[in-house]
Amino acid sequence: MENHLLEVKGLDVLYGDVQAVWDLSIYVDRGAIVALVGANGAGKTTLLKTISGIIHARRGEVFFSGRSLAKLRPQEVVNIGVSHVPEGRRLFSKLTVLENLKLGAYPPRARPLFAKSLERAYGLFPVLKERKKQTAGSLSGGEQQMLAIARALMAQPDLLMLDEPSLGLSPILVRTMFELICTLNNQKVTILLVEQNIHQALKIAHQAYVLKTGKIAMSGRGNELLSDPEIQKAYIGERWSKPR
Amino acid sequence: MLKYLSVGLVAQLLVNGILFGTMYGTAAIGLSLIFGTMRIIFLAQGTIIIFFAYICYWLFTLFGIDPYLSLVFVVPMSLLLGMGIYQALFKEAAALEDKNISLLIAIGLMFLVENLMTVVWTGNPRSITTGYTSLVFRPIGIDLTFTRLVALLMAILSTAGVVLFLKKTLIGMAVRAASEDMVSAALVGIGSHRVNAVAFAIGIGLAGIAGVSLATIYPFDPFYGFIFVLKALISLALGGIGNVFGALLGGIILGLLESLASFFLSGGWSDAISYAVFLLVLMFKPEGLFVRSIQKA
Amino acid sequence: MKDKRAIILTVLVTIAFAIVPFFLDVSTSYFGYFLFLSFCYTIIAQGWNLVAGYTGLISMGQHAFFGLGAYTTGIIWLRNITKTGYYFDPVTMILSGLVPVILAIIIGVPLLSRLRGDYFALGTLGVGEIIKVVFVKGGAFTGASDGLHLPSTVFESMRPYYWTGLFLAIFATAGVYFLTRSRVGLALRAIREDETSAASHGIHLLKYKIFAFAAGAFLAGLCGSLYGIYLFHINPDSVLKLDWTLYPILMCVIGGNGTIIGPVIGAFFMNALFVVTDIYLVQLHPIVAGLLIIIVMKFMPRGLIGLIDTIKSRGL
Repeated sequence: MENHLLEVKGLDVLYGDVQAVWDLSIYVDRGAIVALVGANGAGKTTLLKTISGIIHARRGEVFFSGRSLAKLRPQEVVNIGVSHVPEGRRLFSKLTVLENLKLGAYPPRARPLFAKSLERAYGLFPVLKERKKQTAGSLSGGEQQMLAIARALMAQPDLLMLDEPSLGLSPILVRTMFELICTLNNQKVTILLVEQNIHQALKIAHQAYVLKTGKIAMSGRGNELLSDPEIQKAYIGERWSKPR
Repeated sequence: MLKYLSVGLVAQLLVNGILFGTMYGTAAIGLSLIFGTMRIIFLAQGTIIIFFAYICYWLFTLFGIDPYLSLVFVVPMSLLLGMGIYQALFKEAAALEDKNISLLIAIGLMFLVENLMTVVWTGNPRSITTGYTSLVFRPIGIDLTFTRLVALLMAILSTAGVVLFLKKTLIGMAVRAASEDMVSAALVGIGSHRVNAVAFAIGIGLAGIAGVSLATIYPFDPFYGFIFVLKALISLALGGIGNVFGALLGGIILGLLESLASFFLSGGWSDAISYAVFLLVLMFKPEGLFVRSIQKA
Repeated sequence: MKDKRAIILTVLVTIAFAIVPFFLDVSTSYFGYFLFLSFCYTIIAQGWNLVAGYTGLISMGQHAFFGLGAYTTGIIWLRNITKTGYYFDPVTMILSGLVPVILAIIIGVPLLSRLRGDYFALGTLGVGEIIKVVFVKGGAFTGASDGLHLPSTVFESMRPYYWTGLFLAIFATAGVYFLTRSRVGLALRAIREDETSAASHGIHLLKYKIFAFAAGAFLAGLCGSLYGIYLFHINPDSVLKLDWTLYPILMCVIGGNGTIIGPVIGAFFMNALFVVTDIYLVQLHPIVAGLLIIIVMKFMPRGLIGLIDTIKSRGL
């Protein structure tokens, strides 16, 4: 039997009477980068929110390391090892960089490792060390994104879920972001990535799912999907029609 | 009236206003913490303050315990009571989308407590008289009542205490974070019930301190609580929600306003002016008077 | 059709209430007084129902409108302004309803256009307090803190009170009924559900909110007028107390906010509860009210109607 790190089975999620996700099943293997791509409103954020416990599914199951996440609240999900960096970062803008990082290590399982986690964060993002006493709200867009990811890492997650990390970043920063994701993955962090930047996402993903109106339209390995003509036509456009 | 105006008189009015206003400020800080986490206006705050004023009064009248000494008992009691009220009344309601339910529970609590106190302890105004309640210092010709000075001291100390708590402790940081973004806080592992309960407990703790201050300064009756919470709300509006020092400052400003207004106009009108200021601030400067530009993350 | 049955039932109940004074001396019977008071509570509860239950605006200033209605009646009568000489004057009552409406529009426009939710509730609280000060300080015009005394020698029997009360209660309830079935009612409910979405559908938010607020004020004023004539002594302590804001809230909440008969059920139920507690101690009213609102909000926030609905849908 396959042993996936994260398994989502037959998920139905509704907002009131409006169904956002239909019978959705995906899995994420340990050590992989899995990308969720698709247009706005396709259900990608909804899926992440359901996994992290912000909203609850009407039907279906979510298993992490074999354990059901169904009845858990977000703070409990973090303590199990799943960190969610939400869309728009949502930092504590009035608190300093260091305070944000300290709070990142709030879950009981992460607190004893605080010093080590902090060093690792500063190692990956030296700029955060420089600005540690500044309020998060005063950082630039790119720095804020880095802080958001660093904060999530402070919880020592086994699975890191990123919702649109490249949103609003300049092209150079976008490339840095994706390089960072690969680096993290090399450091044994499993990544579930939701992205609108389909090209970059598929480039680095081991496995990818294409979501359309709450259902899975396609799935496969990242590079396979990248060279798929349908994908290229629908999402990537003429410029990238030649496979790289 | 103006005929009697002199520098000394004005100074006296100002001093009185500042000293009295610190009580409003203390209550306002409590309201700010509770609103920050639970997003409800805890209208029963004033009545709870009166409740603790009564506790202080009875401890003194029945057992001869000095009011300031009674703080040793009142402060822990208020913290525990705060936790208890949260668990019993607000825990589920705070998680709901509809904040009106929590608001109505707070209103119900206010009615319940103030009328219960009226029935049990009668509606007669109470005040405490000890050896020092009539003690007055007169430097440079201005009357400084001892008890009001102590109230000022308690207000400053408790404000400092709250600020230290919020800035230096992890749970205090968690409260600040949750006040800004509860969902985001949950995603880093901060449980909403925990921060709500802590904020609420501190809010009630501040009510306990304010209650003891009030008992030594001013006569009180069960229905004064409602008026008091309105004044605390005005202070909060002036200072801006989320700003601890601002709340204290707002209280002082209100105290000044009242002191001056009640001198030049008769008592009732000064209240009306306070409420009018309240409406104006709510409508035109809801972020408070002291706001600098805020950057969004 | 469920509606037809409801209407027939209402008519029957109304007739039943209407003929009571022929079997019971309502002037002396406690039950007559109980019914009259229940009618009064129904009127003001429907006012709150419209403002908060259907439109979602939590107004904590209903008592100001109530008091304003009472004072208007008192002032008109004492100064013989309408010169009709009638004791029970519809013109006076209508005017007593309209004056609060004027106030509602005056304060409603600035408050409703700028304040949301909690802040609006606070604003109405502030206004209520200001009104109270104005009336206490009104000098000879409003009778200051002693209030206005109407000549009680005019009182002959409770009957006109009873029937007027019944009429107004029916009027209020029917008003809410027809309003909610109209396009106006639809707009109000849309505003309660989701303001932004309502606005994007072309609903002029301010206009409808003011309408609901003013309608609630009208009903509160009418109730105040009736109650004022009944009391003969209109003073700030009796007509401007916060109770007149809390009790309607409580009744709607117990019966079911945002329903048509919820407030009616709530009014009768609460009044009955008060009668029971009166046996022990009159001052228990507000204590019971406070306790009840906590219990209801915690365990059945949708009121008795909601409870019945839940039981029905679970097929018990």
